[in-house]
Amino acid sequence: MPGETQLPASVSVRPARWSGRGAILSWGIAIVIALIAPHLMASGFGLSLLCRMAIAIVFALSFNMLLGQGGMLDFGHAVFFGLGGFATMHLLKLVDAGLVLPVVILPLAGALGGGLAALPAGWLATRREGTSFAMITLGIAELAVALVVMIPQWFGGEEGVSGDRSGGVALFGFDFGSALQIYYVLAAWAVIAAALMWGVTRTPLGRLGNAVRDNPLRVDFLGYDPARIRFLTFLLAGIFAGVAGGMQALNDEIMTVSNIGSAASGAVLLMTYIGGVGTFSGPVIGAVLVTLLQVALGTVTDAWQLYSGLIFIVMVLWAPGGISGIVQSHAPILRAGRGARLLGPYLALAPAMLLTLAGTVGLAELAYRLQAVRGGAKAGRLFGLTVTPTDPWQWLIPLALFILGAVLVHRLAPPARAAWQDAAAQTARGGA
Amino acid sequence: MSAPALSLRGLHKSFGATSILRDVSLDIPAGTRHAIIGPNGAGKSTLFHLITGRLRLDRGSVWLAGDDITGQSPHAIFRRGLARSFQVTSLFPRLSVFENLRIAGMRAAGCGHAFWRRIDGFRDLTARIEEMLALLDLGPRRDVAAGALAYAEQRALEIGLALVGGAHTILLDEPTAGMSRAETERAVALLRRLSAGRTLVMIEHDLSVVFDLADAITVLADGGVVASGPPEAVRGDARVRAAYLGAAAEVLT
Ligand SMILES: Nc1ncnc2c1ncn2[C@@H]1O[C@H](COP(=O)(O)OP(=O)(O)O)[C@@H](O)[C@H]1O
Ligand SMILES: [Mg+2]
Repeated sequence: MPGETQLPASVSVRPARWSGRGAILSWGIAIVIALIAPHLMASGFGLSLLCRMAIAIVFALSFNMLLGQGGMLDFGHAVFFGLGGFATMHLLKLVDAGLVLPVVILPLAGALGGGLAALPAGWLATRREGTSFAMITLGIAELAVALVVMIPQWFGGEEGVSGDRSGGVALFGFDFGSALQIYYVLAAWAVIAAALMWGVTRTPLGRLGNAVRDNPLRVDFLGYDPARIRFLTFLLAGIFAGVAGGMQALNDEIMTVSNIGSAASGAVLLMTYIGGVGTFSGPVIGAVLVTLLQVALGTVTDAWQLYSGLIFIVMVLWAPGGISGIVQSHAPILRAGRGARLLGPYLALAPAMLLTLAGTVGLAELAYRLQAVRGGAKAGRLFGLTVTPTDPWQWLIPLALFILGAVLVHRLAPPARAAWQDAAAQTARGGA
Repeated sequence: MSAPALSLRGLHKSFGATSILRDVSLDIPAGTRHAIIGPNGAGKSTLFHLITGRLRLDRGSVWLAGDDITGQSPHAIFRRGLARSFQVTSLFPRLSVFENLRIAGMRAAGCGHAFWRRIDGFRDLTARIEEMLALLDLGPRRDVAAGALAYAEQRALEIGLALVGGAHTILLDEPTAGMSRAETERAVALLRRLSAGRTLVMIEHDLSVVFDLADAITVLADGGVVASGPPEAVRGDARVRAAYLGAAAEVLT
C-alpha cells in the first residue's frame, strides 16, 4: 500500500503531553524562520525561491492529507491546485478591472475553486480505495487537462490567463508589487494554511482518516462509512491545494494548463515522499529541499529531472519514511545518548556513499551531455575537468567510481544498519 | 415480552454452489449471554458476517431489537447498537492502543465527522478510553502502536474495540482464541463484567469458557442449528454429542 512505513520492533507513538510542548516550539521556530528568511536571502533570486517554497509547502501538505494521513495516492492533485489558481486569476482580473477587493484575500478564491473541483472528483474517486482510487485520479487528471484545453474562454488556451496583482486598490500603501511584500503575503498564507491542516489532524475527521488508511474494513464496523471519510478528507485536501494554487497565481501572475498537468502532480508526489509521508513536518521538509534542489541544480545542470527521479527511487527503496522518517528513527537514539555508537559505522559508510554519488553524477552528466554534444553544443566542465562525452575512456572513470562505491556500500551498509537496529532496540527497552 | 435483541429468520447462504447455511433461525433474548459452538467450517463466522452486513444473505432476514436490519451496511448496523469483533485480529496497526480504542468509541461519543473540533476536547470519551485501557490491562501499552503489540495484547485490544462503543448487542468471534489459561480467565472476567445489561453473542471453542459464561448455547453443524437452549439441555442432547461433541464429550460429563 502507498505510504506504508515499516514499524520497528517496538515503536512508541509519542504521548500527547510531549507533542503538545514540542508542537508549540516547532511552530514558533517555523514562524521565526518565515519572518527572518527574506532578510537573509534578500536578493531577487532568494525571494523568489522563498515564495516558491511557501507555495510548495502548502501544496505538499495538502497532498499528504491524502497520502500520509488518509492512505490515498492522488495522481491528479495538481488539478485542484491549478483550478484554484485559475479561479484566483479570474478574480484578480476582476480586481484589475475595478472590483474593490484586497488582493491579499484572493487565495480564498483558490480554496473555492479547488473545493468545487474536488467535489465531483472526490465523489467519483473516493468510492474506491488503494489502486482503484489511484487509477481514478489519473483519469480525472487527464479529463481536467482535456477540459482546460477545450475551453479557451475560461482557461486562455496555450497562453493561459494572466493578471496584475498590483492592479487593485492599494491597502495601507501596500500594492504587493514588490517581491518582499508578496513574500510576506504568501508566507502568511502558508502559515495559516499549514496551521489549519495541522489542526485537522487533531480532529475526529483527522483521526478517522488515519483509521481508514490503516484498516477501512474495521472502520465500517465501528459506525463510520469509510467512503464518506475519504470523501471529506479529499474535499479538504482539494480546498488546501486550491489555496496553494491561489498563492501561485498571485506569485506568478499567470496560470497555464501546465499548472494542472501530470508533471505538476508528479512534482508534489516527489517532494512529499522525499520529505516523508509519515509525519506532519515531512512534506514541509520535502517542499523546501526539493524546491531548493530544483532551483540550485537547475542553475548548474539541465539534468534536474534525471536527478530527482534517481533521488525518488533511492528513497522509495531504502528510506520509505523519507527524510523525516530518517530523523524520526534516530531522534530517540540521540536523545538517549546512544548516538556515539552509530558514529563509527556511519562514518565508514559515508565515503562509500559519496563515491557512488560521484560516479552516478559523472555517468548522468556524461549521458546528458552526450546528447547536447551531438546536437552541436559544448560539453563544458565537471569537477574541474573538461568533459568529452564522445570519448569512451572518460566513461570509465565515473563507472569505476560507481562500481567501487556500490560494492563498498553493499559491504558497509549492513553493519551500519545493524548498529542502528541495535541502538533502537536498546533505546526502546531502556527508555520505557 | 420485549423483542429479542437479535432475531434470525430463515437465513440461507451459499458460496457459489456450496451451501454453507440452510434455514438458520434463532432468537436471542435481550440481556443474555449466548454461545455459538460447532465444528470448524460449520459457518459460525459466516453467520456473524451475515448479521453484521459483511456478507449479503441469499434468503431470510435479520432483526435487531425489533427492527429489520437485513441488507443494511455495517456502519448503519453499528449505529443501531450492534458491535462485533473478528476472529482474525483487525486493528489499526499504525495507531496507538489509545487511538485504536478512541476510534471505536467516537461514534457513541457523538464525534461525528467533525473537522472543526479538537478530538481531545471530548473529555468523556477520553475518560472512557482510559478506563477501558485499565480494564484490558493495556494501560502501560497506551502509546504503543497496535501493530507492535504481542499477539495476546492484540486479542485483548480486539475485544476492547467491540466493547468500548456502548453497543447494546455485542458479537465476539472466538475472543479467547490463542490466549493462555491465565489470559483466558482474565478475558472471561472482563466479559462477565462488561456484558452486564447488554446482550453478548460469542463464538467460542473453549467449552469451559462457554459453560462458565453462557446463559444459552446454540450448536451449529451441517449448515443448520442442531440444538439451542440452556447449557444443561444442550449438554444432554444426543444429536449434539453425535454432531459435534464426540471428541470433547468428556468436558460435558
Ligand atoms: N468468502 C468465502 N468464499 C467461499 N467460501 C467461504 C468463504 N468464507 C467462508 N467460506 C467457507 O464457508 C465455510 C464456513 O466458514 P466459516 O463461517 O469461517 O466457519 P467457522 O467460523 O464455523 O469455522 C468454510 O467451509 C469456508 O471454507
Ligand atoms: Mg470462524
